[in-house]
Order: sequence, then C-alpha cells, then structure tokens
Amino acid sequence: MKGMNEIGAVAAGTWHRILRMRVVYVLIACVLILIGSAYRYDVLSLGQHRALMVDVSLLLNTLAAILVAISIVFEISREFREGVATTLLSKSLGRTQYLVGKLIGISIAGVVITGLIAIGFGVIFATAFDQVAKTMIMGHLLVMASVIPMSALAILFAIVLPESIAAIVTAIVIWFAHSATTLSGIKIIYGGILPDLNLFNLKAQAAYTYLGGIGGQYLLLAFLWGIVYSIFAMSLAGIIFGYKDLK
Amino acid sequence: MENVIEIKNLTKYYGSFFWKKPVPALHDLTLDIPIGAVFGFLGPNGAGKTTTIKLLMDLIKPSGGEASILGYPPDNVEIKKQIGFLPDEPVFSSYLSANEFLDICARLLGVPSRERKGRIAEVLSIVKMTKHAKAKLGGFSRGMVQRIGIAQAILNRPRLLILDEPLVGLDPHGRQELKDIILHQKAGGTSVFFCSHILSDVEKICDSLGILYEGNLLCAGNLDELLQDTGVRLHIKPEHDKIAKTLLSEASETVKLPDGGWELTFLNNKEVKQTLLGIKEQYKDAVIMIPAKENLEKFFFRKIADATRTN
Repeated sequence: MKGMNEIGAVAAGTWHRILRMRVVYVLIACVLILIGSAYRYDVLSLGQHRALMVDVSLLLNTLAAILVAISIVFEISREFREGVATTLLSKSLGRTQYLVGKLIGISIAGVVITGLIAIGFGVIFATAFDQVAKTMIMGHLLVMASVIPMSALAILFAIVLPESIAAIVTAIVIWFAHSATTLSGIKIIYGGILPDLNLFNLKAQAAYTYLGGIGGQYLLLAFLWGIVYSIFAMSLAGIIFGYKDLK
Repeated sequence: MENVIEIKNLTKYYGSFFWKKPVPALHDLTLDIPIGAVFGFLGPNGAGKTTTIKLLMDLIKPSGGEASILGYPPDNVEIKKQIGFLPDEPVFSSYLSANEFLDICARLLGVPSRERKGRIAEVLSIVKMTKHAKAKLGGFSRGMVQRIGIAQAILNRPRLLILDEPLVGLDPHGRQELKDIILHQKAGGTSVFFCSHILSDVEKICDSLGILYEGNLLCAGNLDELLQDTGVRLHIKPEHDKIAKTLLSEASETVKLPDGGWELTFLNNKEVKQTLLGIKEQYKDAVIMIPAKENLEKFFFRKIADATRTN
C-alpha cells in the first residue's frame, strides 16, 4: 500500500524511542512487584487475595496503558516544539500519515508494555495459585487493545491543544470514558463523541473467573469498536492538523 | 518548466484569530527561481525569509497567493522526494544515531532499501561525519548537527535544495566545505535556494539573489546585474611605486599590498577615467586595470537603507 513505508518509518521511530527508555522497565518491574504483593493481603481481604491479585493486575495494567497513551501527547508536542516534526514533514510524508505513524508506533509500544505486564502477572499468578483462567487472559488482552482508542484520543488533543492542557484533558477524558457505566446518565458527554472504554474492562469477570456469555466474539467486537473509534478520532485530528502551521 | 520555484502574490499573516490582530510576515511576494540557479535569499531578521521557505515546504499555510515547486503545489507529498531541505535550527531525535536518523530520512524520501546503506555512507562521507555514524545525535555539537542536517538534505540526490541558514554553526573550515558541497550540487544540476546572513559567502556562491525587507521583496535578479559598476580598480606593481604615489590623492580607496604593490580604487568619474587610461597606455606592464563592482555587503545595506527611508 502506498505510503506504508513512510508510516512505518514514523511508527518505528516512535516505539523505538519509548521502548528504549529505561524508566519504562523500572515501572513494569514496580507494577509486577505491586501485583505480587497482593498475595500478602490474604488477611486484609478475608481470603479474597486471589481475586484481589487479578483486580490489581488489571487496574495497574490499565494505568500503564493510560500512561503510555498520555505519553504520546508529550511526544508529539515535543516534536512540534523542537522542530523534529518539521524535518519529518519536509520529506515525502503527509500530515495524516505522520499522525497514523504516531498512532501505530505508540500502540505497538503500549501493546509491548501492557503485554509484558500481562505475562509477568501470568507467571506470578501461576506460581502463587494455579493456572491462569481464560477470563484473566481476555481481561489483559482488552487492556492491551484499549491502548489504541486512548492513544487516538491523546493524538487528537495533542493536535488541538497546548501540551500541558492536552495531557490534562486527555487524562480527564480517559477517566470519564472509563466511567461510562457510572456516568451514562449524562447524555451530553455520552452522545457518541466520547469512547466507552468500559467495554475494555473485564475486571469483575476476570477476578471471579466468570465468563457469562463473554467470549472471543466480544473480544473481537470490542477491538473493532476501538479501531473504528480511532479512525474517527484520527480523521478529525488529520483535518485539523491539515490547517495547522508548524514551528 | 523553466523555473524550479514560482511564487505569485504569496502572502502570510500570523496570529489571525478572532481577537488577535494579524501580524503580516510576507506581503505579495512574486518571485521565480530558474532551473540550475544558486539563489541567495537575503534580508534582516524578521524579513520573512524563513516564512517563505516554510510556505514552500508546506509547513505553514499561506494567507493568500500561490506557489509552485518543481511545477507542483507545495502540498504535493510526492514531489518532496526530489527536494532536499535543511531547516533553520535543525533539531533531530536525540536518541537516534546518525545512521538510524538518516535511515528514517531515506525511507521517508523513498530511497530504495537496497540503496539506503550505500547512500547513507556516501552522504556521511561528503559531510565528513563517517566516524560519528554510530554516535547518538543528542551528543553532537551545533556544527555536527548542521552537518547531519546537510547530509539528510542531499540524501535523495535532490533536484532542488532548500537551505535555511545553512552556514550557521559551522566553523570557517566547515563553511568552506559547505560552500563546496553547494557548488558541487550545482555542478550536478541541482538548483539551490538558500537564505543566509553571511553576505561574503552568499556573494561567492550565488549567481542570483533576492532581498526581502519587512515581508516585501526589494529586488531580485542576477548578481552581476544587480551590483553596480562603481568605478575602476588599479593594481600597480611594487617597482612602480612612483606612479602609485601620484595617484593616491585621487583614489577613493587605497590598499598597500603585502608584496609592496598598490591597489587603488577610483569612483566613476570621466576625468579620472581619462587620466587612468593615459597611465595604462604609458605603463602597460606596470598596471592592471579592472572594473570595480559594488560588493554585496554595500549593495545590501544600500537597499535596506533606501527601504527604511521610503517607509
């Protein structure tokens, strides 16, 4: 496909940059230590430490996914501010291609980071208790998939708003989007513009290893919904970016 | 196509927002750059040079007018495969090595994968950075970054090279090397459009130029045609010191040369010209007579002063 090489170059530059940061691996180690420490809460949780460990792993993995998504706001803003984007866009690279490259790059980085956390959790859980259940795997796969729409949102705000405001707005919007069920009464917010990130939350089912009609089809549909929402957000970002003056 | 760049009534205002008064950066610029030219774009800070370059590279959008680059509008992505661009204050991803950065650039410029390695090695050798190929860009000095910037600009063997202040940050040796690179590119058929503040260097490498002042083009054209004949310059050999001394009072500028000879400049004046022709006739071997041209620095300041007075 025409332009894929250019998109691939931007994507590779983005995930290389993030995955080369040592702090990422320190954070993954910290997350795994916290997940492992849930095993010691057997008294406090009245023997529910097994479910607690699953819950903590999904919560911390979701937080990691959110941090990765927000990091793209700083990445794009830095490239605009320092003029790196100017150098890239002076080549045979369209503005939308640049944004798509950034989305793919950050999504790959996000999937690798959340994937490492999920694998780490699997090893810890299997060592502490027994085999990892299918719902737990599905829960973590959905967290990994949620990186895509969250990053698309972050890119949209990075294009529209100044750096610090964009990061705060992205964090607030992601928080709202994760609370879709609780806040679903607010029609203005949930009129179809905000993503329903609650679709990617299988904490309850995973903690109590309950599937209840949720199968591979749900996983696929949630993933596809994330892709469709990302296309919507990226199209909007592409249109706005098309009119933007660069430093 | 006769021109590599064609600009017609190009205008740019910054900050035109509801409550903000728009700031004019470029006003009605019309300019053509012929194929094969080395065109120097001059002007004081804030004249609109970088704005023009950014408009040509589609990094900013025009408020009015139009431009074409190699026959296509600036927003044509494909045509950029034939353009080399060095931005003002180049900043590249600091975590990448020179090799990795140039590989990304080569991919973005559509350099075929089998040619990339060779091409990267070639440009690194041209800018004398081969031994730093694996070093991270973050550790490079300003001059080294500038060299990598030049390397990425010539990576695709461009038909048109657009350079924004390419001589900044380079030591005298580096400046000379860059001038050689530009002239080498020109010899290979590449057209060059660049802006610079270093007038002496511009004079040496440009064959045409334009001067921009407060967003308005003051003049543009061939360098030889633009610079005025200011008089006559006389080189007098050391053994004819006496001739020189009789002419000293008439000369507008006198320079005693290291070999003991003299270089005397005379302004355009009919009587003086007659006298000099007489001397030249009488002492054929003693003097060399050449027409004196205004230098670019004087020309530049004269144009700016005229524009300031008019404003």
